Amino acid sequence: MSDTNPERAGGATGVDPRALAQTIVFSGVTVVRDGRTALDRVSIGFEEARIGIVGLNGSGKSTLLKCIIGLVKPSAGSVSVDGRDAVGEARAIRRATGFLFQDPDNQIVFPVVGEDLGFGLKNHGYSRAETADRVEAALTRLAIRHLASRRIHELSGGEKQLVALAGVLALAPKTVLFDEPTAHLDLKNRNRLRDVLQALPEQAIVVSHDLELVADFPRVVMIEAGRIVRDGPADEVLDHYREANR
Amino acid sequence: MIASLARPGSSPLHRLAAAPKLAGLAITATALFFVDDPRLLATAFALGLTVARSTGAHFAEIGRDLAGAAMALAVLGLADWLLVDGATALAVVLRLGAIALLAHAVTMTTTTAELFEVLERLFGPAERLGLIDAGRAALTLTLAIRFVPLIVEEAQAIREAQAARGLDGSVLALAVPLLVRVIVRSEAVADAIDARGFPPERAATAPPRPPAIRPEIEADTP
Amino acid sequence: MTTRDLGLVALMAAVIVALGAVPAIPLAAGVPITLQSMGVMLAALILGPRRAAAAVSVVIALVALGLPVLAGGRGGLAVFAGPTAGFLFGWVPAAFVTGFLAMVLEATEKSTLVRTAQLTLAAIVGGIVVLYVCGIPWLAFVVEIGLAKAFMASLPFVPGDLAKAIVAAVVTVKVRQAVAIERK
Ligand SMILES: Nc1ncnc2c1ncn2[C@@H]1O[C@H](COP(=O)(O)OP(=O)(O)OP(=O)(O)O)[C@@H](O)[C@H]1O
Ligand SMILES: [Mg+2]
Repeated sequence: MSDTNPERAGGATGVDPRALAQTIVFSGVTVVRDGRTALDRVSIGFEEARIGIVGLNGSGKSTLLKCIIGLVKPSAGSVSVDGRDAVGEARAIRRATGFLFQDPDNQIVFPVVGEDLGFGLKNHGYSRAETADRVEAALTRLAIRHLASRRIHELSGGEKQLVALAGVLALAPKTVLFDEPTAHLDLKNRNRLRDVLQALPEQAIVVSHDLELVADFPRVVMIEAGRIVRDGPADEVLDHYREANR
Repeated sequence: MIASLARPGSSPLHRLAAAPKLAGLAITATALFFVDDPRLLATAFALGLTVARSTGAHFAEIGRDLAGAAMALAVLGLADWLLVDGATALAVVLRLGAIALLAHAVTMTTTTAELFEVLERLFGPAERLGLIDAGRAALTLTLAIRFVPLIVEEAQAIREAQAARGLDGSVLALAVPLLVRVIVRSEAVADAIDARGFPPERAATAPPRPPAIRPEIEADTP
Repeated sequence: MTTRDLGLVALMAAVIVALGAVPAIPLAAGVPITLQSMGVMLAALILGPRRAAAAVSVVIALVALGLPVLAGGRGGLAVFAGPTAGFLFGWVPAAFVTGFLAMVLEATEKSTLVRTAQLTLAAIVGGIVVLYVCGIPWLAFVVEIGLAKAFMASLPFVPGDLAKAIVAAVVTVKVRQAVAIERK
């Protein structure tokens, strides 16, 4: 796991992801959506800097991530982030926990890149000057300053994904939740996103069908029909996942 | 984003702020409905032409922009002439023509951003009365602008796919899948907006912020 | 309005605009129809009164912002003083009434045919009667031809609008079979 070594990953910015990592706890969480059980009595804790989540379509991965920031409310049980309740204190949690959705087109709300990056900052009460400052820093961090005045509609899928991520990082979150971040990307952009992910000082929980993306994570969790069925180092869990779905 | 009808320029009308332009237009247009004298209306029409021309646009361009309106006006004028009388036809055509020219001049010289600010200010009183939430209204407009090109693309993709399957030109084959996709997408968009901290919190209640993370070394360009 | 409502309103407004950019599609009888005014009926039948009225208000605001969002790339302030402005502003009450009638008329257990007929009726009352009640007086006033003649001048558009009402109802029934969405 040479490249995901937290020291090295954080080195570029001088921030240690272990210092940022939040403690996320699911206690007996059941989610019923449209009469179907999406999560079934899930109890698990996350505090590592990198956590992978794998599972088949419809197994409940996105539902799990959405529970963390209170977008989906458990039918039973509760989720907490650093001791805060995900439903009752969603706003505070969302300030420290970014979410990168699978389709960046759904996440980008303004027609121009620069404007969009300021959206989250404005919502969280940052002044105009602070917003401009942080937008600039986020663009620089992902090496996409040249996109600042471009129209979203004219960007490639990979560029859109980086813009969406910049919007998330501008808020300086402690944790970023990734829901299949490479699903819409070609090989080149996928590799670029993987490099960005590796260098990220923030805690990252990554849902992915692209198993290589999480292959050197210290911890990977496998979900099946709304239940956690495996939890351990990447190689063990991924071997089992591949074996079980041949 | 949909391209605005505005054109860049430095004419006096370009330099004038949006609010007085809009107020002037509204007052002039209303006043013209109380004028029936053909000589006055002809003067107004000539004024409209002058104002439109003063934006730097050539008559040919103005004609192209207002071709649709001119056609409709011609049809109406003809109808008036046949159904009512020639004098009424002339008055109607001159009055509507003058208003169209003035309105077009304002549209040409005012950016969407400027108009947006006026609109937000107009929302103000309604907001204080609790009728409307200006922040939500502005976000809704922005989102609509943002998603038009995407939906146009989706509509074209669906039509191409239907054509490939020999279903060319059916309204049902286009509208049903398009609307289903839009409804599903709108839910994902709403989730993403919530995840990004909407609606905004009031500054007074905002807690201390974490410092921005800055790269120490200049990130390499792609 | 929840964020979900906001998303639906904005995207449905975008659909109405997008339908203005799609070339007219010939109906079965070969009569071409512009899909934009059908978009208003669809928004109303699918979203219900309040959200539909909000969605068409968004489109009207975009016209005012100088964007070419109406069929044929029309937009800008000139539209508001034109002879058909009444039909544009009429979208708001038309959408509200259509959506309201759809909400009270349609109950789920009835047959597809009955539901389609009820939604068609809603679209006719809201999307044609209410719309024309707004559009015709404005036309009569602006063109100075009197109500009766303005009414006669609008009649040729009725068959096309009836066809749109039927198509919108059929589309709505199919869409609502695919996704659950409550009218409000
Ligand atoms: N918006 C929704 N409304 C109702 N049910 C939903 C919704 N989203 C997901 N579900 C249901 O919840 C269950 C879990 O879905 P979820 O999206 O969490 O799966 P996933 O593991 O992320 O799948 P994928 O790999 O396809 O993204 C599925 O049965 C799905 O049908
Ligand atoms: Mg998913």
